Amino acid sequence: MNVTGVSAPTIARPRAPGFASKTVALMAKDLRIELRARDTLPPMLAFSLAVTLLLAFTLPSSTSPADPVDLPVGTVPLNDVLAGFLWITILFAGLVGFARTFEVERREGAIDSLLLVPVDRSALFIAKATSNLTFVVLVEVFLVPAFLLLFQVDVAADWWLLVAVLLLGNLGFVSVGTLFASLAARTTSRELMLPILALPVLVPLFIAGVELTSDVFATGGAESVTDKGWFVILLAFDAIIGIVAALVFEFALDG
Amino acid sequence: MIKVEGVRVAYGRTLALDTVDLDLRPGVTGLFGPNGAGKTTLLRVLAGLLRPTAGRVRMPDMEIDASNETFRRRVGYVGHDSGLYPDLTVGENLHLFGHLHGSRPERTAEVLAAVGIEDRRDTRVAALSAGLKRRAAVARALVHEPDLLLLDEPYANVDDEAAEMLSGAIMSWRRPDRVCVVATHGAKRVKAYADAGIIIQRGQVISYRIRVPNEAPPLDTLAETSPLEKQADEPGPVGTQT
Repeated sequence: MNVTGVSAPTIARPRAPGFASKTVALMAKDLRIELRARDTLPPMLAFSLAVTLLLAFTLPSSTSPADPVDLPVGTVPLNDVLAGFLWITILFAGLVGFARTFEVERREGAIDSLLLVPVDRSALFIAKATSNLTFVVLVEVFLVPAFLLLFQVDVAADWWLLVAVLLLGNLGFVSVGTLFASLAARTTSRELMLPILALPVLVPLFIAGVELTSDVFATGGAESVTDKGWFVILLAFDAIIGIVAALVFEFALDG
Repeated sequence: MIKVEGVRVAYGRTLALDTVDLDLRPGVTGLFGPNGAGKTTLLRVLAGLLRPTAGRVRMPDMEIDASNETFRRRVGYVGHDSGLYPDLTVGENLHLFGHLHGSRPERTAEVLAAVGIEDRRDTRVAALSAGLKRRAAVARALVHEPDLLLLDEPYANVDDEAAEMLSGAIMSWRRPDRVCVVATHGAKRVKAYADAGIIIQRGQVISYRIRVPNEAPPLDTLAETSPLEKQADEPGPVGTQT
């Protein structure tokens, strides 16, 4: 028998890579796979831009985001409606992407290999959540300008406020989405399970996001955003959910 | 070295493993049995990926469980699938898993050479044939030099020459304190170098024999008295541990 096998190690093992190094390696793996396979970002982008375009044709013509709009539920300022449109589009585009979070691990059984690497489960969570955050931010890079253009919303003075609100909303959103994607990945109907699990938890986050975005659209300035409780709710949601999700992820993965 | 004590695994009403007791010693143990016998389930239990319904599995110094990070450093597992990322190249996959395990960077080239696919280093896993995927999967399991190596059908879709290389890689990995379990429904290839053999059928261990030094591989005699090669369904004799 040919015994040309693995030679005995002659060199001492290098120092084991740390938490950050492993997290970066896992995140880079996800981004590299997406760059090659393009399985996640294109459907998210296509969905969000198509929905924005459709919504642009549904609203009655108006001159300013502060104008009232008659809806079946009553009369509301247009900026409230637009903020709702924007966040609903982000929500469902995100869910389209989150449902595929563990798809790359499922195709060749890599989930088993991943579960057996000596990496803290929170590193897996941070890597997956950061990849998802990258996808959501990339979608928003295309979606938000298109949205502002189509709905003729001018946030030139407060653009940084809009960016801040979106980023804070994204943090909580991807934490919840990644956690529940890991749970849904264990089921056969994961595309269905993910929204069922995640949407109830996301309600406070999205209400806060809509309220704050509405204020930005109404060009109320920084005070109108930070003076309200929604800003605190958004911050608290991010902090609490982020920590809880990182801790609970281990149990979601190991079952 | 690895004690399996009263392990039962049930999938709903189906009993996949029925009160399995084993004392796995260092060396290579062949795990044989027909399809659906419970080989894969037992391997997943040994890898800590599946918690038994009852019973427990222990190494001398720790409980076997994939949630235990110390255990994860010591186990290498190849399941039915390759366990690799199809959109990464073979080299990228091995480098990633090697890095996560803290292996030397040179290990990637070593294990690729050991299984004879060093020329496929820059090929995406998705583009590999089934046999090449098996070899890449074994290389991935060996990259961090595990103490416990668990291989599920490593010879599936592998030609004779490649099978020789895989056997060589496993034999070279072997050390006095390392345990390897190779599950297969055909015993021919593993018989040549295994130190012990287990026959499992309908979730029960029906035979467990350990090779006596300077004697023929235990499975030569085992195969004569068992339905191993025929994959028959009738229950065999109750096994003994020698």
